[in-house]
Amino acid sequence: MKFAAVQEPAFGRGGLAAIGALLAVWEILGRMELTIFVPPASAVAEAWWGLVSTGTLAKAGASSLLSLAKGFVPAAFLGVALGLAMGRFRTVRYLLDGWINALMSAPLSALVPVLIALFGIRDTVVAATVFLFSFFVIVVNTMTGVRGTERSLVEMARAFGASEAALFARVYLPSALPAVMLGLRLGAVQAVKGMVVGEMLISLVGMGERLIYYGNTFLIPELYAVIVSVLLVAILSSTFVQTCERALVRWK
Amino acid sequence: MQALVGIDIEVKAGEFLSLIGPSGCGKTTLLKSIAGLQPVEAGRITIGARAVTGPGGAEASLVFQDFALLPWATALENAEFGLRLRGVPAAERAVAARRALAKVGLAGSFEQAYPSQLSGGMQQRVGLARALAVNPQVLLMDEPFASIDEQTRRILQDDLLRMWSEERKTVVLVTHSMEEAIYLSDRVVVLSPRPGKVHRVFEVPLPRPREALDVRASGEFARLVDELWRILKKMQ
Repeated sequence: MKFAAVQEPAFGRGGLAAIGALLAVWEILGRMELTIFVPPASAVAEAWWGLVSTGTLAKAGASSLLSLAKGFVPAAFLGVALGLAMGRFRTVRYLLDGWINALMSAPLSALVPVLIALFGIRDTVVAATVFLFSFFVIVVNTMTGVRGTERSLVEMARAFGASEAALFARVYLPSALPAVMLGLRLGAVQAVKGMVVGEMLISLVGMGERLIYYGNTFLIPELYAVIVSVLLVAILSSTFVQTCERALVRWK
Repeated sequence: MQALVGIDIEVKAGEFLSLIGPSGCGKTTLLKSIAGLQPVEAGRITIGARAVTGPGGAEASLVFQDFALLPWATALENAEFGLRLRGVPAAERAVAARRALAKVGLAGSFEQAYPSQLSGGMQQRVGLARALAVNPQVLLMDEPFASIDEQTRRILQDDLLRMWSEERKTVVLVTHSMEEAIYLSDRVVVLSPRPGKVHRVFEVPLPRPREALDVRASGEFARLVDELWRILKKMQ
């Protein structure tokens, strides 16, 4: 089936086997005590459990997830809305296309000083970096989805008397939905990147702060434990969006 | 540049009329103008007493060459689409769409199938059901069977003739198949290209019901196809 890729689970048996193999190699390398920067996987697991049982991870994680939500939810709503407008109205597209493209390809970390000036160094700035990292990819994917709507479907709907509003709701929107969901999924991954960048480079809160702290104090197993947790957050947010996608796009 | 000039065609109620001609003769443009999708610069198109001013009129429905089914909607939802746009309540809409699907031979389990799960022939049956569900006086068909394999096409042509004789709709069909034009139509309008104009109006005196009389095998059918070919060949 040509759409099989969409239906595949995030982790099939092959994926689990690959992770198992990686963990085994990691454990062996760690036990060889080549350098303190490669502790065995079991030591990382132990450190991770330590962070969980003392509540350190929960505290840092809660702060991070809150920033993630505060940045990603507005980025999703505004990004989809702007993408729809740009896809549907040529004037809006002409006005904004250049800006969106420039900002999407710009190294956003360069904006850090501006962000500090605007939002200070409290956790609001983390939400702002999350927003900036995820917004543009959502806009561009949504716009591309709308513009990819089959012309023949638009003509058909017009022939059956669709108003502009009906055309949008019944043709453009459902047609763009898979691309919108892809944009949100990529946006969710970008959002986690934005979260870590914001927390490490600007704000020193949440999981980013823990990364810096354990790095500076050479608590390497703890450092890896936090890195693994950040990865888990990224995977879970992407999986969350994918689950929504499967519920919404059943026809593929 | 004008696509069409001096087109003066009157289609009788209940008539089956085909438009044929070399590419660039404007046959699809003409059909889309009748559907109100293509504004005409000069002249007038009327269906019954109503002048066509834009798309979406209740009198005529289009059937598309590429089927133009919504891929995210089931066969039933696709068949309901025109009624939904007209604000028909859900229950009433489902009844009318089911009836239309049954007319084109797609009753039962096919209702819940998505277009990607249906063959080309079945997809066009859904396209036809969508057009019939709004109960138009006129069916406008734009090369409806052009992308369907030969065997299925013949079956669909027979089913269309049967449906047409039961429903007494007026049909205007664009085609580039001479056999199809002769087999289905009462009259064939031959258009010549650049700019498109009426070259000849060709009567088809074959007896009906053609789908039951095995008209395709008759010598008269072959003779008419050949005559149409001679007209079209001169224009190449």
